[in-house]
Amino acid sequence: MSQDAKPVTIVMIEDDEGHARLIERNIRRAGVNNEIIPFVNGTDALKFLFGADGSGEVQSGQQLLILLDLNLPDMTGVDILQKVKSNQHTKRSPVVVLTTTDDSREIQRCYDLGANVYITKPVNYDSFAHAIRQLGLFFAVMQVPETD
Amino acid sequence: MPISSIAFVRSSALFLLIGVAALLGIVATNLLLFERTQSYYDNVLLARDTRNMVASLLSRLQDMETGQRGYLLTGDEPYLAPYEEGKAEIEPLLQRLRERMDAYPEIQPTLSQVETLVTTKLAEMRDTVSLARDGRRADAMRLIETDQGKLLMDNLRQLLSDMQRAMEQRVSEEASAQQSSASLLRWTTIFGAVIIAAVVLGAIWMVLLYTRELGNARKQVEQLNIELEKRVKERTADLARANEEVQRFAYIVTHDLRAPLVNIMGFTAELETSLASLQAYVATVEGREDDPAFAEVKTAADADMPEALEFIRSSTRKMDGLINAILKLSREGRRQLKPELIELNAMLEQASANVQHQITEADGEVSLDIAVPTMISDRLSLEQVIGNLLDNAVKYRDAQRPLRISIVARPAIDNTIELEIADNGRGIAQQDHDRVFELFRRAGSQDQPGEGIGLAHVRTMVRNLGGDIALESEFGKGTSFKINLPRDLRAALGSRNS
Repeated sequence: MSQDAKPVTIVMIEDDEGHARLIERNIRRAGVNNEIIPFVNGTDALKFLFGADGSGEVQSGQQLLILLDLNLPDMTGVDILQKVKSNQHTKRSPVVVLTTTDDSREIQRCYDLGANVYITKPVNYDSFAHAIRQLGLFFAVMQVPETD
Repeated sequence: MPISSIAFVRSSALFLLIGVAALLGIVATNLLLFERTQSYYDNVLLARDTRNMVASLLSRLQDMETGQRGYLLTGDEPYLAPYEEGKAEIEPLLQRLRERMDAYPEIQPTLSQVETLVTTKLAEMRDTVSLARDGRRADAMRLIETDQGKLLMDNLRQLLSDMQRAMEQRVSEEASAQQSSASLLRWTTIFGAVIIAAVVLGAIWMVLLYTRELGNARKQVEQLNIELEKRVKERTADLARANEEVQRFAYIVTHDLRAPLVNIMGFTAELETSLASLQAYVATVEGREDDPAFAEVKTAADADMPEALEFIRSSTRKMDGLINAILKLSREGRRQLKPELIELNAMLEQASANVQHQITEADGEVSLDIAVPTMISDRLSLEQVIGNLLDNAVKYRDAQRPLRISIVARPAIDNTIELEIADNGRGIAQQDHDRVFELFRRAGSQDQPGEGIGLAHVRTMVRNLGGDIALESEFGKGTSFKINLPRDLRAALGSRNS
C-alpha cells in the first residue's frame, strides 16, 4: 500500500434530503464506509469540487466518487457533470448520475458527457436498493488504494 | 372601374358583333354599289352606241344622197356605189334603233318621224335614180329642183341631231349618276372603316383595361396569399409552442411528483425493515400476554402497522402507475416520428398473430380485408395503436359469444386511409363514447385490470400521425374503432412543420 493513497471520498449532490438519507442508508447497508460529503445545491458542490479559484487544484491527488442528481434548485446536474469531466484534476473521478429522469435522450447525453453510471431512481425500493448495493461493490473496488 | 369577367365577355362579344355588322354592311353596300356602277357603265355604253348608230344613219343617208347626185350629174355608174351600199344598210340600222326604243322612250316619236322621212327620202332617191337609168335624166333633175329631197334631208338632219343630243344627254346623266354612286361607295367604305377602327380600338382598350385589372387582382391575391401563409405559419408556431409547453409541463409535473414519491416508497421500505425487527422482538417476548399495553403493541406490530404499510404501498404503486402513464403520453408526444414504407397486410397479420393465442382461447377469429397495400407512416406508433385496440377487443369481449374481430383498411378521401377495427364484444354505452379516450377514464364494469391509459395513448399516437380516431358502439353488441390516417406521413409532417 502506498502511503499517498487516500480513501475514496463520496461526494453526494442531492437536493432532496429524503433521497439523500435513503441513498446514504443503502450505501451503508451495502457495507460501504467511505466518508460521504453531502451537498444540497450545485453552487456549494462546485465550490467544494473546484475550490475557491475554480481551478480544481484542491482535488489534485484526491480520490472522489460523485453521486449526482440532475434536478438541482440552482443548476442542472448536467452542468456539473460537464465541468467535472472537462477539468483535468477531476475528470478521472467516476460520476454516478442518480435521477428520476428516464428519458433516453437525457441518459444518452449524460453518457456522452462522460457519466460512468446512470441510475434512474426507481420507486420500487427493492430494485433501488439493489442498484445501490451494486454501486457498493463498485465503491469497494475503488477503495483499493493505487499501488504507485 | 372594376370589370367583372362576365361584363368583359359581354362587352367583347358586343364589340365583335358591331365589328362584324359593320364589315357585312360595307361588303353589302360595296356589292350593291358595284352592281349599280356596272349598270350605269352599261347604260353609258349603250347610249353612246345608240348615238353612233344615229350618226352612222345620217352619214349613210348623206353618202347615198351624194352618190345619187353624183350619178345624176355624171351618169357614171360607179358614183352609185355608196347609194347601193347605203340602201342595204339603212333598214337593218333602223331595225336596231327600233329595238333600242324600250330604253329611250323620249326619242320614240322622233324615231317614228325619222322612219317616215327616211322612207320618203329613200323613195325620192330611188325615183330619181330609176328615172336617170331609164334615160330620163331631165325628169330626174326636175324632181331634184323641186327641193323636196333637200327639205327631207334638212329635216332628217335636224331630227337625227336631236336624237344625238338626247343620247349625249343620256350619257352625261348616266356618267354623273355613276360618279355619285362611286362617291357614295367611297363614303360608305370610309364610314365602315371608321366604325371598324373604333370597334378595334375599343376592344383593345377593353383588353388592356381588363389585363391590367387581372394583373392587379393577381397581385392582390398573391399579397393575400403571402399574408395568409404568414398567419398560418404564426398560428402553427403558436400551436406548436403551446403543445410543447403542455408537454414540458406534464414532464416537469410528473418528475416533481415522482421525487416525493421516491421518498414515500423508500421510507415505507425503511419502516418495513424496522417493523420486521419489531415483530421479531415482539415474537420473542413471553409471559406478558396479560399486560394490555403489550397486547396493544403486539396488535400494532402484527396487524395495524402491516395493514397501514400495505395501503401506503398499494397507493404509491397506483400513483406511480398514473405518473408513468402521463410520462409515457408526454414522451410519445415528443418522440421523433420516423416515416417509412409499411406493408399494411403484413403488419396487420403480425398484430393479430400477437394476440392469436388469446383469441383462440376465446374461441374467436380475426378477419382481414386490406384494400390498401402500403402506406408511409411511423411503424412503432402504428403497431402500438393496432396492438392496443386488439388487446382491448380481446380484453373486453363478451363471454356469451365467440369473439369476432374484423380489420378493414380502405382508401378514404383526401389521400387518407381508413382503418377499422371492429369486434362483437361487450360494447361501450353511448354516454361513455367520448370519455373512454380521456386519460384515467374507463367504461363499463371494472372487471379487468387497467388504468384507463390505453385509448388515451392510442388517440395521442393517432393524432401525432396526423390522423384521428372515432368509435361507434352499441352497448352489448360490439365496438368499432375507425382510424383515419394520412397515406403519407411525410406530407402531413411537412405541412405541420412549414
